[in-house]
Amino acid sequence: MKESSPPTPESSEKWEIQLRKGSLELAILAALWEGRLYGLEILRHLETNSDMIVVEGTVYPLLSRLRGLGFVESEWVESEFGHPRKYYRLTAAGRQRAVEMSRIWARFSASMNDLLAPLEKETQGEHEGKKTGIDKTGEEKP
Amino acid sequence: MTLAAESQKSADAYLAALRRQLRELMDEDVNDIVAEIRMHILDKTSDGAEPDAVAATLAALGTPAELAERYRTDELLKRARMSRSPAYLLRSLLRWAGLSLVGLIVFCISVIGFGLGGGFFILGVLKVINYHGTGLWGQFTDTNWSLGFQSGGNGAGHELLGWWLLPLGLLGGPALFFLTARFGLWSLRKFWRPRAWR
Repeated sequence: MKESSPPTPESSEKWEIQLRKGSLELAILAALWEGRLYGLEILRHLETNSDMIVVEGTVYPLLSRLRGLGFVESEWVESEFGHPRKYYRLTAAGRQRAVEMSRIWARFSASMNDLLAPLEKETQGEHEGKKTGIDKTGEEKP
Repeated sequence: MTLAAESQKSADAYLAALRRQLRELMDEDVNDIVAEIRMHILDKTSDGAEPDAVAATLAALGTPAELAERYRTDELLKRARMSRSPAYLLRSLLRWAGLSLVGLIVFCISVIGFGLGGGFFILGVLKVINYHGTGLWGQFTDTNWSLGFQSGGNGAGHELLGWWLLPLGLLGGPALFFLTARFGLWSLRKFWRPRAWR
């Protein structure tokens, strides 16, 4: 059964972190699609609009890199509330990049879903079987 | 919107450490990064300004070294900094030489420096082994001026250095070698603009 050999939490967690890291660039470009934002706004946008747990220390260096690559541009804007903020906005190249990336993402996730379809069916069956069956351990109750 | 004195101190210390860690980037870039992180800390802690809030914000950013490392995206510079090996340094400089005139000049100077340093050291060692066969010979006549190192036989002309070749070779050689390595690394840091920062 599934419970007898659970996936090692370390490895699947690591994999998830890698997955998030890999998609952070696209997530940032998407966050800037509607207009300019400063660093903390981008962080908050990602937190409220996705289940991305963003490590703050990775966003700022990534923004620098995106700026270096010409996908975003930045400017310091004085705010009325005291200190200035560094706003980022997409460049034309950045928009193009975001579109390309989202296309790749859609294609990839569709093909991945196809691949995972049989697996999904089986795990669903497993869940149903567990629901009807007698729960021995007790701690695995849904 | 100011932080309590204690929080201010830890935030300042963090930013100073970050600045130190980023020292091989261009000054304007470093100022920009440090200012942005400073504003981030201010934004995150503007209401409460408790020491806890600052500590939590700094922890979320990672240590200054970790944060700086994420900014240093240029692999070439990173590896050259890690490795003090002349072979690695020369390979990095060779790649740089293919990209810019400054790189080419630095590469040529480094090759000459390493060559002379290594050469002098070998001559110094040979002088110990074979005193009479090793030296710097010069021949100066009206028609012919020549200067050369020779080992293993008596050359024409006068030996110029004698015992002086020993300190020159055994100490000067490695010193020149070392200085060339320092020069190469220094040039990389000073003049090589990491691609992400152009």
